[in-house]
Amino acid sequence: MVGLSLGEQNFIKGGIAQDLRTDGRKRLTYRPISVETGVIPQASGSARVKLGATDVIASVKAELGKPNPSHPDKGKVYIYVDCSPTAEPTFEGRGGEELSLELSSALQRCLLGGKSGEGAGIDLSSLSIVKGKVCWDLYIDGLVVSSDGNLLDALGAAIKAALSNTAIPKVQVAANASSDEQPEVDVSDEEFLQFDTTGVPVIITLTKVGRHYIVDATTEEESQMSSAISVSINRQGRICGLTKRGGAGLDPSVILDMISVAKHVSEQLINKLDSEIAAAEARDEEDEMDS
Amino acid sequence: MAGKSSATPETYSPSLTGQRKKRPPILTDSDWVRPDGRSLHQCRPAFLRTGAVNSASGSAYAEFGNTKVIVSVFGPRESKKAMMYSDTGRLNCNVSYTAFATRFEDRAPETKDLSSMLHKALEGAIILKSFPKTTVDVFALVLESGGSDLPVITTCASLALADAGIMLYDMVASVSVSSLGKNILIDPVSEEESYQDGSLMITCMPSRNEVTQMTVTGDWSTPKINEAMQLCVDACSKLGKIMRLCLKEAATAPQD
Repeated sequence: MVGLSLGEQNFIKGGIAQDLRTDGRKRLTYRPISVETGVIPQASGSARVKLGATDVIASVKAELGKPNPSHPDKGKVYIYVDCSPTAEPTFEGRGGEELSLELSSALQRCLLGGKSGEGAGIDLSSLSIVKGKVCWDLYIDGLVVSSDGNLLDALGAAIKAALSNTAIPKVQVAANASSDEQPEVDVSDEEFLQFDTTGVPVIITLTKVGRHYIVDATTEEESQMSSAISVSINRQGRICGLTKRGGAGLDPSVILDMISVAKHVSEQLINKLDSEIAAAEARDEEDEMDS
Repeated sequence: MAGKSSATPETYSPSLTGQRKKRPPILTDSDWVRPDGRSLHQCRPAFLRTGAVNSASGSAYAEFGNTKVIVSVFGPRESKKAMMYSDTGRLNCNVSYTAFATRFEDRAPETKDLSSMLHKALEGAIILKSFPKTTVDVFALVLESGGSDLPVITTCASLALADAGIMLYDMVASVSVSSLGKNILIDPVSEEESYQDGSLMITCMPSRNEVTQMTVTGDWSTPKINEAMQLCVDACSKLGKIMRLCLKEAATAPQD
């Protein structure tokens, strides 16, 4: 990214202080979001989300697996993000690894809850097939195609959309399996179960520039930030995860203030995102009917 | 040759008392009784010592209950030739677990994740422009993992940095809380962490009242987060005082 001159930096900071950002948005306004679902036919579910110039794709693949012995009635979900060199030439090879790990762990924290799997945004017990023996493993992969700031929010939205699009095949378990054998499982090709995503939280990143917070920062604005907080909030207004990013320290009262601003913004974002996802699914079905 | 089929009682026989009993999961409306007898808002007693490793620029050993961590700091030393010139110093953190640190059934912890979180926690406290062109390496080794690992690692690392003489804006203290049903427990042990349904970790600089890192997992309502943050910040300021006491003792101890 080309460096910013001192004048440009002051322009960005001054604009934010006056509630007028360089692209004309207010501090708490998101860029236009566009959602497309079903972009990867081989995956169980997928979605592409564009947030201004930021472009990310999320895909969900479901495979049969064995549940964790400490949680026999829950399925497993793995989230991994890959930053493609098409977004930034510095991402080639190992360059994007640090950012990928940071994004992956932030997403895991926000969507999967703590170690014991409690408080997860995704309901893991719905992925269990036979307790202790067979469960669904969901592999969620995020790909950053183009990066113009606010990758975490875009990835969170893409994962939510991809999960809405995910069709998990119905399984028939052989009834005569004995208790210590691996039961036979017949995966149906015809019937599918839609994943329930009303409880999946969205991620809101609030970036602090000077004394004000902005939502949905572009790369330029992120370069001027002192610190940022990414909060994951679900439909009921409960906080499902929080990560502080950036090196500068923050007063605890400022953090609480940012959390309340994030909650306020989340209501609009959740509604917007749900309507976009529903519209994308409807377009998807129309295309299928036509072809 | 006939083997001895009956072991006589006087000889060694493996004792069964070491077996861990699995506690039943708690109901959401009952109170949790802590296995080590602490109250819900009481931290484990802290044992901190600097100068644990002689060959390092600075080092510290921390023991909080069953969590034992040793951190050594090397530097500021010359950055690798491949790295570009930078007019601020660089910080490199590495966390590793010994092979015997966790119980066999527990999964290997993600050390890359912990290393990057330690880096973020410390970089806000170090005055990086005091050592341009050079790197400070922080190596943390977890000898035994008894719960609340990352906060202990961060606290110990900050002590080691101070022991090494690296300029800091302030000491960094870190504390985590677990949420079990309606209870909030401070400084959880491994057993409590396995039953938790939410956790909150805060790393802060007590004298400046600044939070350098905060992570929250699980389902929280805003008043609960408020309460948990207050608890943590309060505990961090007390921990900061204990850390300073430890450094003062080390400095005034007779040199041998």
